[in-house]
Amino acid sequence: MPAFERRNPNLVLVGLEEGRLSPVEAIQALRTSSDSHTKKREIETESLASSEWRLNEALTELDSLIGLTAVKALVRELVAYIRIQRIREMRQLASEALVLHMVFSGNPGTGKTTCARLMGKLFREMGVLEKGHLVERERADLVGEYIGHTAQKTRDQIKKALGGILFIDEAYSLATGGEKDFGKESISTLIKAMEDNKDRFIVILAGYREEMAKFIQSNPGIRSRFPIHIEFPDYTVEELMLIADLMLKKRDYRLDLAARARLEAHLSRNLGSNSEHSGNARLVRNIIERAIRRQALRLVDRKQLTREELMLIRREDIEGNHEAVHRFG
Amino acid sequence: MKRCIVLGKPNVGKTLLVLRLADYMKVKDVDITFQDPGGAKYSRKYPMDIAVRELVGALPHQTKCLQSVSIEFRAGKGKKTVELMDTTGLIEQIHDDPLTRKAMAQTLSALRGAQIIIHIIDAHLAGHEDAVSDPTERDLDMQLAAFAGPRGGYCIVANKMDLPGAKRGLARIRRLFTGYKVLPVSAATGEGLKEVRRHVLRNL
Repeated sequence: MPAFERRNPNLVLVGLEEGRLSPVEAIQALRTSSDSHTKKREIETESLASSEWRLNEALTELDSLIGLTAVKALVRELVAYIRIQRIREMRQLASEALVLHMVFSGNPGTGKTTCARLMGKLFREMGVLEKGHLVERERADLVGEYIGHTAQKTRDQIKKALGGILFIDEAYSLATGGEKDFGKESISTLIKAMEDNKDRFIVILAGYREEMAKFIQSNPGIRSRFPIHIEFPDYTVEELMLIADLMLKKRDYRLDLAARARLEAHLSRNLGSNSEHSGNARLVRNIIERAIRRQALRLVDRKQLTREELMLIRREDIEGNHEAVHRFG
Repeated sequence: MKRCIVLGKPNVGKTLLVLRLADYMKVKDVDITFQDPGGAKYSRKYPMDIAVRELVGALPHQTKCLQSVSIEFRAGKGKKTVELMDTTGLIEQIHDDPLTRKAMAQTLSALRGAQIIIHIIDAHLAGHEDAVSDPTERDLDMQLAAFAGPRGGYCIVANKMDLPGAKRGLARIRRLFTGYKVLPVSAATGEGLKEVRRHVLRNL
């Protein structure tokens, strides 16, 4: 179990409130927590209730995401696992250190970054991570230009991620450069840092499915250190429509029937086309944002506007397929 | 403002000590701020005698949440305000009532933010417990002393010194808690309040 979970007195107090710990056990746990403080953290002024509240908030946010059943199931498992490990530890049972490094594979726009950000929040509220922030990096941020530069650059980024999550997008590109590429040095620096700072940060490697699979297979060091693999499948048309509804609802808009039919037709055409943007939420967001702008243009010269008209997105506001290809090409 | 927490097992006289100390410090009407475990706060002003009648009782867990009183201490030429926090009693086992459990969590949470800690032990009871079998590691008072003792500003108040057998209890407490400051007090009669006041003053 990570050291700062033991150090998190808030969790001890939650245990007491929920009747899993007696006051004596709670005092004991608090005592060991303050004993193990090398550098005494400031007395947390945040109340217990707010930490628990934020955890629930993050879980609700996760649940409100469309699709992503695999991720949701995994997060539930992890939340339960962490809670139980915590209780086991308080009762002086053996508890394992958590290895939470992950590989996210899937096309762009399938929710990888969104999930990583939410996990950061969840892990902070559960006491696994100190800060839970997300540091999003790619090859260019980690790999240097001359010998010795790479290790330094990679270490700098890791330093920024301590206490949170280091999210490396298109991580496979670290291994594609050939024998003399500096990407390899970056990988070994990363692995070294993961050993040195075991409980202090989580690494998430993200990228396309095939490339990531190849990357992981060819690096035994990586394979053994990333026990959690999550696939982010492309969204189905139904899921994309739900996402569109949700986005519009948040912005106080809605589609009329014709617009809905056009959007659906557009999305299913796109899904078959196997293009880079097929089946992802970013495509939907772009279409919707465009539609909102087009609706504004349609309405802007009118003298009188009803509330209804301001909310409604019509068929002509949704752009046709050829325009979309042009825009995203 | 420094915070002074008063804690201990149920029914050792925490609330009475807080009120008597306020009385001793010439507070006429006590303005008590009640802080719910849920986060709600409200305050009420009591004349001293009514506060004692309403808030102090013979049953355990009379105090359901943090109750704090601000007291002004003269320190040198100036004045310093101390927040005196009365808390829900701590027991050894898991309590059945979720509200009481919450209140106990609140007690421990407040303990972590307090600069002065007054830990009350019932000397009368200690004098009548079987002196042969000493408390184990599991004893709440032992654990509390071990946790709060090193934090500074800590003292043990052996309360109820007016009752029979309390002298023996005091001796036993002194023996069990060697190395800690132990003050004999009777909140009921007012004996020993001077020393408690001095302890608070010294840690300002």
